[in-house]
Amino acid sequence: MSLAAEAFVSQIAAAEPWPENATLYQPLKEDQILLSDCASSLAVQAYLRMCGLPVQVRCRANAEYMSPSGKVPFIHVGNQVISELGPIVQFTKAKGHSLSDGLDDVQRAEMKAYMELVNNMLLTAELYIQWCDDNTAAEWEIRRKMSAVGWAGKSLEQVYEDVSQCCQALSQRLGTQPYFFNKQPTELDALVFGHIFTILTTRLTNDELADRIKAYSNLLAFCRRIEQSYFDEQDKDGQSGSSRFSKGPSLI
Amino acid sequence: MGTVHARSMDTLPMQGRDLGVHPDDLDVMEVQQETKQEILENKDVVVQHVNIEGLGRTKEDYLGYEISEVFNAKNLVDVMKKSHEARQRLLRLGIFKEVEVIIDISEGADALPNGLDVTFEVTELKRLTGSYNTMVGNNEGSMVLGIKLPNMFGRGEKLTFQFSYGTKETSYGLSFFKPQPGCFERNFTLNLYKVTGQFPWSSLKETDRGISTELNFPLWMTDHTLKWEGVWRELGCLARSASFAVREESGHTLKSALSHTMVIDTRNSAILPKKGALLRINQELAGYTGGDASFLKEDFELQLNKPFILGSVLSASLWGGMLFPIGGQPTSIADRFYLGGPTSVRGFGMYSIGPQSEGDYLGGEAYWAGGIHLYTPLPFRSSRGGLADLFRTHFFLNAGNLCNLNYGEGPRAHLQKLAECIRWSYGAGIVLKLGNIARLELNYCIPMGVQSGDRICDGVQFGAGIRFL
Repeated sequence: MSLAAEAFVSQIAAAEPWPENATLYQPLKEDQILLSDCASSLAVQAYLRMCGLPVQVRCRANAEYMSPSGKVPFIHVGNQVISELGPIVQFTKAKGHSLSDGLDDVQRAEMKAYMELVNNMLLTAELYIQWCDDNTAAEWEIRRKMSAVGWAGKSLEQVYEDVSQCCQALSQRLGTQPYFFNKQPTELDALVFGHIFTILTTRLTNDELADRIKAYSNLLAFCRRIEQSYFDEQDKDGQSGSSRFSKGPSLI
Repeated sequence: MGTVHARSMDTLPMQGRDLGVHPDDLDVMEVQQETKQEILENKDVVVQHVNIEGLGRTKEDYLGYEISEVFNAKNLVDVMKKSHEARQRLLRLGIFKEVEVIIDISEGADALPNGLDVTFEVTELKRLTGSYNTMVGNNEGSMVLGIKLPNMFGRGEKLTFQFSYGTKETSYGLSFFKPQPGCFERNFTLNLYKVTGQFPWSSLKETDRGISTELNFPLWMTDHTLKWEGVWRELGCLARSASFAVREESGHTLKSALSHTMVIDTRNSAILPKKGALLRINQELAGYTGGDASFLKEDFELQLNKPFILGSVLSASLWGGMLFPIGGQPTSIADRFYLGGPTSVRGFGMYSIGPQSEGDYLGGEAYWAGGIHLYTPLPFRSSRGGLADLFRTHFFLNAGNLCNLNYGEGPRAHLQKLAECIRWSYGAGIVLKLGNIARLELNYCIPMGVQSGDRICDGVQFGAGIRFL
């Protein structure tokens, strides 16, 4: 978001408290939701839960057209509409809810760097795998899309290798801590959770990617921890309910 | 206007003077011609040949029907009248630039003493014509480039391509028209188009890409149109500040609809008629031939005109419509009715009456609107004809209502709902007639019955368009 837009959103946001009827919109669940969209939506949901802000999840076929930036998910709060994790974090900050306030400047820069890493690596890998998995996209179409994101010339093997390396970096940073910045979760935790959890729980024709991630046990434990803390605690009776997760299976 | 030439006939006791007769003046022939006219009228003639000269690509069999009536003429005046009518019929086909009629005595071996030959000399339109126009629609202006291929295959087929760039809209379209040989009023049209529109009153922009086929035919005194249309509609927000209700309608939908229109038009002119009436009833059924949109839409338009005292005209009009969603789906903002504005209930903002959300007007599923007008010629006109004839002064009373209906309730509840909270307005102004297609209005309006949420245009309001309440 541009600086002017950020300032505008902050001004408007600061005025009112978080309403009860805040809603998050994402594409329909069935076959239509892309891997990357699912991950992004889960990341935003995790972040809002970590902040303790209630939000209802609604699925709409035209969610990407409804979004002001064309990307999903987006939230409808009061009469404001904000899409994507970055702007949503800004928005909640303007309302006085923030997870990264406790960080000093160095840590904040680090957090941003890791978020960029996740966005560049994992998001793009998800897109690639989705396209390959479709089996309907021709080889040349995939190659064209990959060169559009700057990944021309990478084979599936290389993509897996890149994902592995990204996960290794994350795993090293996480170490034995509960969250990336020790005791308290931040937006980085939400983002990593969203992507890793989606890759692990989505049924693809090729499970190699999931297997590679499972090699990093601390990431697995991290995902389980977040799932238990933030997604199961409100739902002691069972799993179902449209206001919960978008994807069924859990890690536990 | 063409001229009809008639050579004198030797068997008549006349002094060999050429008669130059104009068909329009048939009723006002001078008295000294009366004796000659009598002789002419009583004279039996037989039309032996009817020729058409100047045909290039037009096929002769196509024109046979238009000129066949001329053979039935029994005397000279009848021949001239029927030739004139045939000339009009040839011109309305839209394939000739000019048609001249020549009536001559028959010559040749098989010529009868009272035989006549009628010849139509035609000038065909060029194969390809281009045009550039500026157009004024309902409160917007645009530049229109056109390419036309009239009479492509020789039987009246027409192919048109149009590109329109406007203040609010950009569109292009390809149209193919084919009349039935022998009955021009029965015709078939195929359209392919892309139209973009911006509707700031709803913060909505719409892009339609569609194909439609249309069949027109007359039936007794009425004109009917049957049409199938398939449209891929893309709706989007015009501004980031669009209301959420409009945002929810964004996206792509497909509409496949069959529609039927019936028109009875006895007015003497489409714009500022002096007498006559218009009734237009239209229904549209969407969803049974595919697509996402599923509804039945009915709307009608009624207009009555009557000359009043001192050259003024009293005019009353009534519009109404209903949209019934089918299958429990909600209706789309692109299908609903809108009300208000200089072409509708005057004194209110453009389409700014009825259900709205955060300042964006969402339209309604049922509406009615009515108007009573008194048109008078401008006072103190110096002479008949001239620019002053295109103007009228105009006193009006408009009323209307637009709302959504809950179709579970009965018709009584619906009528009640449409009858409460009526918006109405009155005022006066000046109307200018533009060609035979459009009109401009400048009115002073006083809106009344304004409900919360409506936007008004109190005072002076300017309007330009084709269809006015």
